[in-house]
Amino acid sequence: MFAFREEVMRVFKTAAILGLTVSGLALSAGWANAGEVTWWTPNFNEARARELAEKFQAANPDITINLEITTTDGLPQRILTALRSGSAPDIIDVQHGWVNGYAQNDLVVPLDDVVTEREDYVPAALNYVTWNDQLWALPYRIETHAIIYNKGDFVAAGLDPANPPQTWEEFIAAAEAMTKDGKSGFAVTGGGEVGNTIFRSLPFIWMAGGAIISDDGTEVLVNSPETVRAVQFYTDFYKNGISPSSTLENDGTANRRLFIAETVSMYQSGQFDINSIRQENPDIDVGVMTIPHPEGADTAAILGGWSLVLPTDAKNPEDAKKFLAFLGETESQAVLTDTFPARVSAMSAERFNDPILEVFKEMLPYGRPVPSHPNWVQISQAYFDGIQRILLGDEDVQTAMDGVAADIEALL
Amino acid sequence: MHRKSTGYLFVLPALLVLGMLIAYPVAYTGLLSVTDNQGNLVGLDNFRAILGARATPTAFFNTLWWVVGSIVFQVVLGVLTAILLNQKFRGRAIVRSVTLIPWVVPGIVAATTWAWMLHTEFGIINYMLTAPGVLEEPVGWLTNGSTVLPVMIAINVWKMFPFVAIMVLAGLQSISNDLYEAARIDGASFWEEVWYVMLPQVRPVIVAVTLLLVIWALNHITIIYAITRGGPANRTLITPIQIFRTAFESVQFNQAAALSVMFFAVAITVVFFYIRTTAGNAGASK
Repeated sequence: MFAFREEVMRVFKTAAILGLTVSGLALSAGWANAGEVTWWTPNFNEARARELAEKFQAANPDITINLEITTTDGLPQRILTALRSGSAPDIIDVQHGWVNGYAQNDLVVPLDDVVTEREDYVPAALNYVTWNDQLWALPYRIETHAIIYNKGDFVAAGLDPANPPQTWEEFIAAAEAMTKDGKSGFAVTGGGEVGNTIFRSLPFIWMAGGAIISDDGTEVLVNSPETVRAVQFYTDFYKNGISPSSTLENDGTANRRLFIAETVSMYQSGQFDINSIRQENPDIDVGVMTIPHPEGADTAAILGGWSLVLPTDAKNPEDAKKFLAFLGETESQAVLTDTFPARVSAMSAERFNDPILEVFKEMLPYGRPVPSHPNWVQISQAYFDGIQRILLGDEDVQTAMDGVAADIEALL
Repeated sequence: MHRKSTGYLFVLPALLVLGMLIAYPVAYTGLLSVTDNQGNLVGLDNFRAILGARATPTAFFNTLWWVVGSIVFQVVLGVLTAILLNQKFRGRAIVRSVTLIPWVVPGIVAATTWAWMLHTEFGIINYMLTAPGVLEEPVGWLTNGSTVLPVMIAINVWKMFPFVAIMVLAGLQSISNDLYEAARIDGASFWEEVWYVMLPQVRPVIVAVTLLLVIWALNHITIIYAITRGGPANRTLITPIQIFRTAFESVQFNQAAALSVMFFAVAITVVFFYIRTTAGNAGASK
């Protein structure tokens, strides 16, 4: 009898072990993505991202990097949906300005242990992605605008292309001098996505000592005399016929096309435009100047760029962090960026030595982060609507900005 | 009795799918509209906030213009086209197919193409008008406050009138020849035929199509969003776009839900009339 019971027990045990093995197999099947890191990166990064992924895989054969290519149109919505749905990739390329919102909602994890050599990073880039004394992203690309101008138009208007205007007054005079024979001296934006006009008008507001909201996000400053003066300066380019008649439908890309078509002599943009201008119209002698400032004030620009975040719901955070650490290395940062790297040491790479980039480099220290506020999207939309009301001739600058102030007041 | 319950069993899977795809979102939107983003009940606060927004009345009146303007021209142009295509002439088959093109082109493609064609600086429309001297200066079709909404309506009319034409044409072809013969014996001219034979016979089709068009115009996003995003300064902001912007650009899902609920009430009224009319037609034709 005992023998029989032992026999039964043995069978049970075997069955149990078998069962465990089977469920173990099932478990490991569920973890098929162990060793795989999914990285969402925008299409303009694809070639460079692939290069770095291959380099990393060669050194880490047990980790596979799966690239998923995104497009910038509608990207914030797509990322937000993925982050909230609970099925996010392991690494996402995002713009610096978006990181704060993700951090405040616990959608990404802090990367303090990944970003180690902080003294080597441009401080403004780190500030951008810091919240609650923790670092929530790895910044890898930074850039600011400068003013791109057509040297030939300067000569034709009797101006010296080697000495571009420095102050607002000089700048207006130069733009007016070049506005003739169907050409527009300086193109501002008044259409497209909100960000286009924020990036091009907020620096002027900062230079004049104004702001849209105060740094702590408690006070509305959009109708202060300083801000109104800068908005007047910005919108007058269109009102006085210096900016093209299509200003209200133009975004940054449209302005570049007009510059390439030689109907615009100056416009604001980043260094990413230089290559396409040179390719599409090699006849233009391209110059770059710092953004003009009011007499006695410093220039300013919005610091833009891209960071990498690790979503809270990432399936493979360990390997993702290993890969992030690799992307944070000086050599990787010198490769991945389309503009400038966030690390100072990466800036010495050969590709950043082109003389045309000199002015863009000079602008970097004047780059400031976009204000971070949970309702920033609506605040900037309210501001942009105000700018459009001025450009349409519905309201004067003070009335429009008073209206914007009332709208923003309700959002703080 | 037994047979009836078996029937319910067969319908059940379909009902479940419908319930998940329609009833659940509707109910959830209703719930979103009375809660905040933490899920606490806040009563009518979201409704108050969205009704207080500067854009809401603007969007309401724009929507009214948009719907009325689109429908009137779509129906008139569509019916005239249908009458034309109902005549016998050489190449009728080709003309019939070509007429359908605007309706077949995907909305986003059409919208982007129109945006390029209408651009002040490098648009072909301004080029065609200024080159032979029809216009002195290029017109800012999309930037002039008084032209932008009419232009949007024109594009929508261009996009949808073929649909009206095809539906009405189908109705015209089912008219018995006896009616025309009777009219001709009475000495009716062509336009009298149109007025006393064609239009009364296709009236039910026109009514049904019009109500469908109203529903589609009310839900419309593609053309306007792709071309102007509701701008400049909300000149082309219609309520569906305001809902989309509030939800997906400003991430204010609760306020967007509140606006949706109010909008739903309007749309459901139209749908109610549509169902009643089409049901009436079906009854009349039997």
